[in-house]
Amino acid sequence: AHHNEVAIGVMGKKYSRDFLLTISEQCTDLPAGFDKTSDIAETLLVAKDSILHFADRESY
Amino acid sequence: SLNPSTAITHELHPLEHSWTFWFDNPFAKSKQAAWGSSIRPIHTFSTAEEFWSLYNNILHPSKLAVGADFHCFKHKIEPKWEDPVCANGGKWTISFTRGKSDTCWLYTLLAMIGEQFNFGDEICGAVVMVRAKQEKIAIWTKNALNETAQVPLLVVLLIEMDVWIALMSIGRQWKEFLDYNESIGFIFHEDAKKLDRAAKNRYTI
Repeated sequence: AHHNEVAIGVMGKKYSRDFLLTISEQCTDLPAGFDKTSDIAETLLVAKDSILHFADRESY
Repeated sequence: SLNPSTAITHELHPLEHSWTFWFDNPFAKSKQAAWGSSIRPIHTFSTAEEFWSLYNNILHPSKLAVGADFHCFKHKIEPKWEDPVCANGGKWTISFTRGKSDTCWLYTLLAMIGEQFNFGDEICGAVVMVRAKQEKIAIWTKNALNETAQVPLLVVLLIEMDVWIALMSIGRQWKEFLDYNESIGFIFHEDAKKLDRAAKNRYTI
């Protein structure tokens, strides 16, 4: 019972930064259900075409 | 072709809390009359994989337009002073020169969603604010007056008879996670509401 009283710092699903970073590479696609058409998405999403274009230009 | 290691790779990692990304669109701001009317929830996630699926596809602070505010708050807490959970809270803020906050923003997000803060229950969320000359990251907490959770280097707690633990507060841990050595300040929302930019730090560490 004592353990339940001290929720601070001991409970919950914890993941270290290093562990979370190892997952990053396998998650490249936007989550299902993400609204790509909203005006906000337009402002916020990485434009893959422009990145490719930029990379091409830089490599020359 | 399915072997045990592939199965492990695709196992999802549920987070302790669901989190929502919110965006305040600078291009919408000028068209809107009331402050706060342009802020909108983008997507809610509850696994580490979903977090990365979003993070890897959205612009990082250095690439966001000037004026943008990008928030990551616990689900059902709105990044507004008026939100009942935030109303009595405040925020720790760190300023960076323009284009220099990307890594610290990511580390702040990972520390929050990975529940690395000892007093994580006190956290509402974090925001990065992109301005012409600087980017600011702030962590919003629930009870501004709860100095114990925000400020001390170590908080000693009795777990059970003769068992003590010492925990670092939110502000101190945040600086440690970011490897940030300058002093940081905590402003009460209540002060910010009344005094705007004249609001003074109530805590400095």
